[in-house]
Amino acid sequence: MSEIIQVTILGLALGGVIALMGSGLSLVFGVMRIVNLAHPSLIIAGAYVTYWGFKLWGVDPIVMLPVASLIMAAIGVLIYRLMFAREAKSARYSEMTVLLTFALAMMVEGLLGGLFTNTQRVTSPDYATAAFFIGDVFVPKGQLYAGIVSIVIIASLSLFLKYSRLGYAIRATTQNRDAAELLGVNVNFISVLAFAIGIGLAGAAGSLVSFVFSFFPAKQWEWIAMLMSVVVLGGMGSILGTVIAAFSLSIIAAFVGTWVGATWSTMTFFLALFVILLVRPQGLFGEKPELA
Amino acid sequence: MSELLRVTNITAGYGDGPAILDGAHLTVEPGKVHCIIGPNGAGKSTLLKAICGMLTIRKGDVVFKGERLNGLRPDQILRKGICFVPQERALFPKMTVRENLRMGGFILDDARELERRIEAILERFPILRERADQHAGTMSGGQQQTLAMARTLIIKPAIVMLDEPSLGLAPKIVQEMFDIMKMMSAEGVTVLLVEQNATMGLKNSDWGVVLDLGKTLFEGPATNVLSDPRIQELYLGGKKAA
Amino acid sequence: MALSFQNTNADDLLAARRAHNERLARRADQKRATWFPVALLLVLAALPLVQLTGNYNYVLHLVLFTASYVVMASGWNILGGFAGYVSLGHAVFFAIGGYFSGMLLARLGISTILTAPLAGLVAAIVGYLVGLITLKVRGPSFIISSIALLMIVRILFDHWTFIGGANGLSLPINDLSVLWAKVPYYYAFIAMAAFTVWATYRIKHSKFGLGLRAISKDEIKAESAGINTRFYKVLAFASSAFFVGMSGAVWGEYLTYLRPNIFLIILVSANLVLMCILGGKGTIAGPVIGAILIVAINELFVATMGASEINILGTGLVMAIGLMFFPLGVIGTLARKDKLPRFLNWD
Repeated sequence: MSEIIQVTILGLALGGVIALMGSGLSLVFGVMRIVNLAHPSLIIAGAYVTYWGFKLWGVDPIVMLPVASLIMAAIGVLIYRLMFAREAKSARYSEMTVLLTFALAMMVEGLLGGLFTNTQRVTSPDYATAAFFIGDVFVPKGQLYAGIVSIVIIASLSLFLKYSRLGYAIRATTQNRDAAELLGVNVNFISVLAFAIGIGLAGAAGSLVSFVFSFFPAKQWEWIAMLMSVVVLGGMGSILGTVIAAFSLSIIAAFVGTWVGATWSTMTFFLALFVILLVRPQGLFGEKPELA
Repeated sequence: MSELLRVTNITAGYGDGPAILDGAHLTVEPGKVHCIIGPNGAGKSTLLKAICGMLTIRKGDVVFKGERLNGLRPDQILRKGICFVPQERALFPKMTVRENLRMGGFILDDARELERRIEAILERFPILRERADQHAGTMSGGQQQTLAMARTLIIKPAIVMLDEPSLGLAPKIVQEMFDIMKMMSAEGVTVLLVEQNATMGLKNSDWGVVLDLGKTLFEGPATNVLSDPRIQELYLGGKKAA
Repeated sequence: MALSFQNTNADDLLAARRAHNERLARRADQKRATWFPVALLLVLAALPLVQLTGNYNYVLHLVLFTASYVVMASGWNILGGFAGYVSLGHAVFFAIGGYFSGMLLARLGISTILTAPLAGLVAAIVGYLVGLITLKVRGPSFIISSIALLMIVRILFDHWTFIGGANGLSLPINDLSVLWAKVPYYYAFIAMAAFTVWATYRIKHSKFGLGLRAISKDEIKAESAGINTRFYKVLAFASSAFFVGMSGAVWGEYLTYLRPNIFLIILVSANLVLMCILGGKGTIAGPVIGAILIVAINELFVATMGASEINILGTGLVMAIGLMFFPLGVIGTLARKDKLPRFLNWD
């Protein structure tokens, strides 16, 4: 029994970070219909920012988080302007943009690999390896902190989307771009903004990831499949769906990891993606059966 | 006669594509209901999109209250008081009725004034108050269209342009939509309507405009358009309409 | 009140239509240049003779390397180019082919050149089964599913001890002298490349190919026109897997070892996509031109800068630039401008 509680807690602790990793992806898809395969590579870029901040100046990763997300958001604006703004009127928009993000993912990986090599890195603040004990059950501090910070960020994002004027504009653009434009929303600005927020969230996730997982540039491919299964299960574009999917999948993965073997826990996500595509391609909360 | 909006000889199309509008003109007089009719592909919707700034005008002028609107963005044109309700999907399906109305006043800066106006709208349309906290996408077609039309009133527009408000609605409901439209007109809102059901549209309008092949063929009082034998034959489905 | 109907100028319209028809007729009339690929093939067949005058192994390697990618990119083109389903997981079939024939070589000593068609068949069967699942979705969802496939197979191969797991296994080296060691593989790849190009040409002009192109344009219309789209798509997936698997089979023996991190990497898949896009998706000559271009660019990057990270960066950069500025590829762009030289018109 205590093992079940233990594994569930480990799954829950990771779920928060994975939800944050997926939420930026989901937001960018929701507003711009871009399936951003480069998202994990940008998370890794954010992780490097945090890593060097910690290594060179000893800045705590959680303190580095706003810095990393601002830097990544600025890079996001640049990427959007250079690569995606011009595709807005492309006839095969969804296919073009997904291939472009794939090219971007390779560029980021190559760049990071050239700069920092493919050695595994991890930031190691004190709490990264510490744990709380509640009876027999231990709660790893690093994952707990990362999970809490993730949930705080996602909650603020949801409140922002739900109640602020810009949040209204972003949601409106997601649901009906033409109608939003006709009601006076500057949809181009909203697109840039949403993209910047999405990539900023990647930066924030990167800061947390830097002490929860070890990372190196090529790790992105594993995460692409993992995050895609989370956002596809959640219904692409739905942040709430992403959060629920992230927690359920990471709990399942924790059990698979304990009972079947560590290597098979990542497999959970990939197989889940296949099963979802087979059974319910629109995910839990998505309304569109086709993304084409 | 005083005119509110004048469109002269405009040419417009989508992207680099062919010109859909090719020398269309239009005069809109304050307070009246104007109905644009014409066959499929005549350029009716395109004309409305060109006026509201969704399409680039290649040639010709759109003049509103003596001011050229060419080249302005949709939000700038909206601020001048011209509001467009596109065909079918004009709403945000996963927002509540109240949130949809709030989006209707997106360009208003005074949040309190916005809430007051939303209250006023809900007062006037009891069906919307009843469903104020329901997602727009879950309402019936007629209710959705009512919301789309009511939403334009939030900014107290000078001109409301409606693209086929009757599309996909039962005949009884269609008349309700026209009644809302006439109510808007009675309050001094000028209406510009595109209607596939030409006879029905003209009967509910003051002024008729016939558009075909991207050109304005005729504009005049709606009763004259309805009774013209050539228009009856070509655009109103022959004798049945007479 | 003046009622005036304006006449459209019927004569002008008719003249324009006539001119358009003539242009179309002229384009169809332009003869295919079958002599060019045939001549190219003869030159390539004679090329190993240079070994009599010295060690040109590097030249042979480059041609062979290009040919192996011609086979794979042309195969990918059947699904990605004709049917419009972009797959980023085709490295899986490269690995299946490589491991199948490689294992036969390691255990029974049968040359992969002989078992390559069989390896292609195995890849095709796997492709057929995978296609049954993943082709239910299209667009970005399909692309994602193809990446997931690659990840799944990578984990499986990394942990399957029978085939050597993550360390892979080494294959016997042939006993030819250094000068002639590459030649058998050279001919195998040239033969496969020629066969693949011919086969994709036949496929494109068959009823099957026509159906695939209809699916790429508008799947719903294709279906209502009576095309069994499901079957066509799955068959396209299987046949594209066939060619990729065949290429992988011989590639393993040529490399003399099998290892997941050589075969099951996304860079292999990315190269196929890139070659088809740069050359011209859905054309016959496109993948060939694309393979030549990418191999040349890769060699340039590796020769000048060495590191594989730079190679990844370069591939991404070329892909982004190609997509943004030449989405139709070399062949497509030239054809659109009516400037396609006759010797490159293989369609």
